[in-house]
Amino acid sequence: MKNRKLGQYTWYCYLVPALFFYAVFMAWPLADSIRLSLYSASGPAGAGRTFVGFDNYIRLFTDPDTSARFWGAFGNTWYFFFINMVCQNVLAIVFALMLSERTMKGSRVYQTIIFIPVTLAILVTGYLWKLILNPQWGAIAQILTKLDLKELVKPWLGDERYALTTVALVSSWQWVGIPAMMFFAGLQNIPDELLEAAEIDGASKLGKILSIRLPLIKPVIGIVTILTFVNNFNAFDVVFAMENANGAPSYSTDLIGTLFYRVGIAGQHPVGIPNPGLGSAIATSTFIMLMAGVVGILGLTKSEK
Amino acid sequence: MGKKLTVLTALALCLTMALPLAAGGSKDAAKKGSSGTVLTMGSWRADDVAGWTALLAEYKKATGVEIQFKPTNPPDYNATLRLQLESGTGPDLMFARSYDTGIDLFKNGYFADVSAIKGLKENFSEGNRAPWTTADGKAFAIPLFAVIQSVYYNKDIFAANGISVPKTWEEFLAACDKLKKAGITPIANGLADEWDINECFMMGILPNFVGGYKGRLEYETGKRAFNDANMVKAFQAMADLAKYCPDGYEAIGYNDSNALFATGKAAMYADGSWSLDTFKDMGANWGNFAFPAPAGAKAAICFHADAGLTMNAATKHPAEAKAFLEWLCTPEGATVAARYLPNGFYPMISANIKIEDAHSAELYGLIQGKDQDVRFCWPKLMSGDPSGYVLMNQGVIKAMKGQITAKQAADDFAAGLAKWYKPN
Repeated sequence: MKNRKLGQYTWYCYLVPALFFYAVFMAWPLADSIRLSLYSASGPAGAGRTFVGFDNYIRLFTDPDTSARFWGAFGNTWYFFFINMVCQNVLAIVFALMLSERTMKGSRVYQTIIFIPVTLAILVTGYLWKLILNPQWGAIAQILTKLDLKELVKPWLGDERYALTTVALVSSWQWVGIPAMMFFAGLQNIPDELLEAAEIDGASKLGKILSIRLPLIKPVIGIVTILTFVNNFNAFDVVFAMENANGAPSYSTDLIGTLFYRVGIAGQHPVGIPNPGLGSAIATSTFIMLMAGVVGILGLTKSEK
Repeated sequence: MGKKLTVLTALALCLTMALPLAAGGSKDAAKKGSSGTVLTMGSWRADDVAGWTALLAEYKKATGVEIQFKPTNPPDYNATLRLQLESGTGPDLMFARSYDTGIDLFKNGYFADVSAIKGLKENFSEGNRAPWTTADGKAFAIPLFAVIQSVYYNKDIFAANGISVPKTWEEFLAACDKLKKAGITPIANGLADEWDINECFMMGILPNFVGGYKGRLEYETGKRAFNDANMVKAFQAMADLAKYCPDGYEAIGYNDSNALFATGKAAMYADGSWSLDTFKDMGANWGNFAFPAPAGAKAAICFHADAGLTMNAATKHPAEAKAFLEWLCTPEGATVAARYLPNGFYPMISANIKIEDAHSAELYGLIQGKDQDVRFCWPKLMSGDPSGYVLMNQGVIKAMKGQITAKQAADDFAAGLAKWYKPN
């Protein structure tokens, strides 16, 4: 009898490892970084940091210099997200639709080609693109010069007007494979009967895409949007690889990720003393915005049951 | 069954808890191995591992004390060091940044007071000790080396175009113009990495425009405004140079500039003395000249106190650490150090240390007889937010791109500083 009762709860034991690792490596750091956002920058040896309440948040949103940087980075991140949505995800849908056409030959080969950039480290691709875009000896500059279009050669990464778009396009190029494969998998799951029935009813190709295939992968679109949103709001590496932690030129490629790194982890060159309190305040504010964003997107794209 | 499991779990728990202890124990054992004491040294000179290892091996031969050189990725050094010191895992000896960045760590109690190190007061001039001395006269590090900001130039290109080393800023601009007309990129510098145009170029020319050390003090004490005519002239000088930089200079980074000069695609390059070894194997003849002063102004040069060496206030081996610092404060120690350190890092000891490399000696010769000063923003303008460094950097870049005038750049610089800097 006693043993039986215990047996009912043994499943708890199987949760313990996962809970333990989740708590130690996810929940605790998250809670601790929120706690850290209420503390000052480094203090004297042994004394530790001092509790400052909401000072870091007040500074972040009211000090003109700090808030200008934060809202600048915030706006840039939205723009970055926008370009990724338009280029990366729309291209991914187009690729997926093409790959899932029954008449398509060599689909596997194209899948591989589209997916290869994903497998490379962003530091590598960022550096490669930096070379390709170099106005002195980059491939694009050389091709344009050969074509007698030298005036089209621009310092793409050094001009505030183009830098963020360029970086966002490189990011899109790198990651287009993942949403493409997700859409592809979603499209494969659509039963053939549906499409055949539509064909018999005389639906055009575009009609089939717009009224059958896209609506049926709406949940996938939602997931991809959330992934893009979360990844873009955490983006840092592509800017770090192609520009610098300052979001050169003139903070035009400064994303929330680079701002957080600069303030909270690395500190501003050349002093390089970080302010983990203010950094955590940035991270916590971002976290709250991400939560709100994800809930919003989920609400918009969940399929009616 | 259940009992067995409990016992096993308890045992496993005990084992995991004991593991760090065991690890700590074995580490200590390694430290106290047959060779005696082992000290660690923190540094941002990740490029100089070979030189430092050789130097420290030499020291070990003489004294039996082993010091391990453990450098960090340069841009992360300050943050990493602070983290190490805060968590009690800091190195015994470490490189110390000059001025406020170093003073902060001293004030927080991590750096030891090295005022009493033998040889420090005797063998180093007051000016050379200043970057590692607090306002109340306590030394927190011994001066290790300084770097020089100058112009690298391609002698072959100069000769082919009949250009001689410019003596004044006006001649410098004329030389740039002549090269540009001949279809050669005059200056290799670009803006993409941001720090180099500020540290190597703007703060390299500044001593000439503001009157060197004495001029800087007048700004810092409030006798002169940070947007006075001299500062405007300096920003203007940078703006004038934009057209002589490579095409697309906005997107040319530090390494690109290095490559442009090294391959002879650009005739001149404003950079620090640390790059001397980079151009060692360059095909063309090259040399250095000091940034020329505007006509009528007194020539001054940026000889920047870069690195000091200090010891951890909480080191377990204070005697050995102190002995090493004292050794570096003797002419003998400094001579050995100079032999092993790479070219372009100049000893600051007041002893006649001979530099063997021809290029390095030539560059060292440029500072002789000139008014010397450190980089303008370092002594007083680094601690605020935004720092004088950041303000100057953004101002120079915007002025060079033509987004703002030199006057506006100087005004922004002064306005940004006014927010937090109190002249003293």
